[in-house]
Amino acid sequence: MPAPLKYDYPSASDEELVKWSQCGATEAFEQLIFRHRDKIFARAMIMMRNEDQALELSQEAWVKAWQRLVQFQGDSSYTTWMTRIVINLCLDQLRRQKRVRVESIDELEEESGGVERLMPIIDSNPTVGMEQVELRRHIDEALGQMSEAHRTVVVLHEFEGLEYKEIAKRVGISMGTVMSRLFYARRRLATLLVGIKRERSE
Amino acid sequence: MKTSDLKLELQAYVDGELSPDRRAGVESLIAGDSQAREWVEGLRQISLLVRTNEPDLKVPSSREFYWSQIKRQMDQAQASKEIRPASAALNWFRWVVPAVGVAAVVVVVVSIRSDRQETLLASNFDSMQTDSSAVVFRSESDGVTIHWID
Repeated sequence: MPAPLKYDYPSASDEELVKWSQCGATEAFEQLIFRHRDKIFARAMIMMRNEDQALELSQEAWVKAWQRLVQFQGDSSYTTWMTRIVINLCLDQLRRQKRVRVESIDELEEESGGVERLMPIIDSNPTVGMEQVELRRHIDEALGQMSEAHRTVVVLHEFEGLEYKEIAKRVGISMGTVMSRLFYARRRLATLLVGIKRERSE
Repeated sequence: MKTSDLKLELQAYVDGELSPDRRAGVESLIAGDSQAREWVEGLRQISLLVRTNEPDLKVPSSREFYWSQIKRQMDQAQASKEIRPASAALNWFRWVVPAVGVAAVVVVVVSIRSDRQETLLASNFDSMQTDSSAVVFRSESDGVTIHWID
């Protein structure tokens, strides 16, 4: 497929841009980056909670994508393929960091059953009446207050849409641990959102 | 079933992770258990809420700057890829050159030893000739060999 003139790139589909990029058209690849850079950065930022690291990892993901572009066969959408690359980079980075860091209080509480005792079941939607922009910000804030282990499971399940088995494989934990972490994380999110809403209304 | 196990089972139901048999079991349970129904509804709500409201974060640098940094890394990666075949050839030479060197040394040693042996034989013959004053004459046309020994 011949690459178009530069001014055609903004109106091209992702599939077309990928094909042209596979042929070496860096302008097409630049357009793909421009189109999806915020999503890829956001995914890295949610995982890492550190802007510099997220920026670096998101850029590394784009470079890796360029190098492996020939492997992209279009089985999934281009953004799905890209988010998998950045998530894998984040997981690798977190593994490296974990070697020199102790587990968080969150995880200790989970192990000792603290969550079961402390957290009530969510019986109403804590976000009723919130604007979507505000809601997204609160969800980000709540994710930031969770431990890395719980946040990772939430991101892989809710945003990446991975099944328990796949999460277990990627993170290197058992399926039972995936289930308990996800359960804990959801309750924690619900509680944090209730708290945020309460603070807001006061 | 323990309460915590039941909650995980309900969550697996919400996430579509149960086999048809277990799914049917959970459905019959929640049909007759209001608390289980509340749990399922709560889990479903929070899952949907998070799934549909992924934080919307923006790259904190301009398009041009972000792209220029990526492009620089792409170029560096490409350059190192191009250098790699040359370095592979260099690695090959690193193995071949010593091997050729060793082979050359072996050839030289062997040839020196063989020269020394020939010299030794010749000197033996000479000394034998000197000591014994023996002279050999051979005529191929007559098929005759004559030895004079003093």
